Amino acid sequence: MNIDFTATAIALTTFFGISALMALSLNLEYGVAGIPNFGQALFVSIGAYTAGWTYTRLLPLLAGQEILNPCGATLMEALQLRTAIMRQLPAVGLLNFAITLVVAALLGGIVGYLASYPALRLKREWYLALVLLVGSEIVRIIVRGYEPIICAHNGLSGIAQPFAWVSDSTQASILFAGLVLILAAAAYVYCERLVRSPYGRLLKAVRENDRMALSLGKRVPRIRAQVMFIGSAIAGVAGVLFVTNVGFASANDYVVALTLDVWVMVVLGGLGNNRGALLGALIVTILDRVTAIAAIQLDAFGANIEFNYVRFILFGVILLLMLRFRPQGLLPEPPQTTKAHEALHVGETCKLGTKSRQT
Amino acid sequence: MTRRNVILRIENVSKRFESLRAVDDVSLAVPEGHIVGLIGPNGSGKSTLLNVTSGVLRADAGRIIFDGQDIVHRSADEIFQLGLARSFQDPSLFFRMTVLDNILLPIKEQDGEDPIRAPLHRTWEKQEARFATVAAGALQRLDLDTHFDSLASDLSGGQMKLLELGRSLTSAPKMLLLDEPTAGIAPNLARNIFEQIEHLRRTRGLTFLIVEHRLGLLFDFVDQVYVMHLGRLIAHGPPADIAANAKVREIYFGE
Ligand SMILES: Nc1ncnc2c1ncn2[C@@H]1O[C@H](COP(=O)(O)OP(=O)(O)OP(=O)(O)O)[C@@H](O)[C@H]1O
Ligand SMILES: [Mg+2]
Repeated sequence: MNIDFTATAIALTTFFGISALMALSLNLEYGVAGIPNFGQALFVSIGAYTAGWTYTRLLPLLAGQEILNPCGATLMEALQLRTAIMRQLPAVGLLNFAITLVVAALLGGIVGYLASYPALRLKREWYLALVLLVGSEIVRIIVRGYEPIICAHNGLSGIAQPFAWVSDSTQASILFAGLVLILAAAAYVYCERLVRSPYGRLLKAVRENDRMALSLGKRVPRIRAQVMFIGSAIAGVAGVLFVTNVGFASANDYVVALTLDVWVMVVLGGLGNNRGALLGALIVTILDRVTAIAAIQLDAFGANIEFNYVRFILFGVILLLMLRFRPQGLLPEPPQTTKAHEALHVGETCKLGTKSRQT
Repeated sequence: MTRRNVILRIENVSKRFESLRAVDDVSLAVPEGHIVGLIGPNGSGKSTLLNVTSGVLRADAGRIIFDGQDIVHRSADEIFQLGLARSFQDPSLFFRMTVLDNILLPIKEQDGEDPIRAPLHRTWEKQEARFATVAAGALQRLDLDTHFDSLASDLSGGQMKLLELGRSLTSAPKMLLLDEPTAGIAPNLARNIFEQIEHLRRTRGLTFLIVEHRLGLLFDFVDQVYVMHLGRLIAHGPPADIAANAKVREIYFGE
């Protein structure tokens, strides 16, 4: 079998960027703020469902076309219509895509915000983990059975990436990979600046001891809700990129296994470290591809290996080894948050000796 | 002695855990600028009373007036914002955070604690540097200034207690509830902590309600002592009277 290296490299880059967004989101929620979000797949899927909705309703509207039912008798017609618009009207396609990103971020954020409220009632945050894990599956099953969102279990194809109008398909995928990387980089810079601020200090304190943070005047439930908003908004954006990268919206993509993949990235890379989240995303993306290719190659030699099993075993072994030998992850959390300590390092004795005495 | 304003008044407060009356109809008053001791054998309800007062637990009955406001139904964060800070009995720092971060955290109204402004470092950097110098002063007074960059978990037990005291001060509270501030600390350092407390009362006019098992030490510094036993207040007065009180000696010293 021949491997097309350019195509593989582009696909890897794109997938890395999307994974990085998911990992940054979970790192902020769990690594920094200590909220065990086991509903990551749900928040990613919100992005995908949003795209399903905008590509079938908003896109024709923006192009001045009639909105056709994407599921029933007009299925093929609707598909041809959105494919034609994405190919021929770049401005409409890009505008629709931009709106999709914003709506997905807002919707994800709002659902995340609301989901944090059970935490007010549930005494332990691990109950929230359970609620999100189960809630994520319930929503998925509802979407699978409810036609208007993404045509139930049939799914929705023709969710094209926003550069589908570029005639050279390699160029189009390079452009998309670039866009994904830019969004991932922006999320990284944002998360890093957020964590390295007094707000980051607050999040860490809530993680370390929420009762104590409350006794020190911090509004813990509100802070948790804010972090869930931010993290889920990022996950929603990742979902839009994920679904447009695949080109097909299916409820089957947002299973618990996706959530677990993101957890592996964050635990592997280092909880509380944004660079660790990126590293974890990179390693998981590569392993994912390598195991997929290896399984195909072995298959060609007649070995009948189920690719998913290889993956599950590999990721399980990695998690166990990390928890046993390096629980802080490959890149541990940096101890400082803000640069306050630098103010004290500079001429340490002089500052401590004189300035403070006056206060 | 001149009469001072009462800053904290607890009136007929009760708290039960199922059938156990942990705090049973307790009333006490702490005048502003005083150091008041709260003693009693293990399990007599002292920590529970502090928990109820600071909003960590809800009282079943009674009123708590702090600085002119009824706080009995306020949450812990609101009570702290009103100027009533507390420490916990078990060492309770943010262990995986630096000493400096621990002491900066309680400062009120930090511009950078707003999630919108936080990523825009320029909107809070100057304020943060100013807070850092204030924190440095506090750390120096506690002899912790060389440790500002270490993780709180790397401090010794005594240094942790000192840091806890320092941390409750950076928010400029009016009153502190301290639950066994010298637990697990060498005797000379324990006296040092009480001298710090006395110094704070003198220089800043702070009020203290202190739960403590080292009675000899406590009695050297307090103006008044309340004694609890099985959830009830059984005595109250100046330390000399309490030390001589037959009932207190019986339940507390087993005489
Ligand atoms: N959260 C709780 N749930 C149930 N019972 C509790 C709880 N907290 C305290 N108690 C019980 O209430 C009683 C008073 O406890 P508290 O901690 O207030 O005592 P204390 O006077 O602080 O004792 P010590 O000097 O040992 O710290 C004890 O019998 C204790 O077992
Ligand atoms: Mg106690």
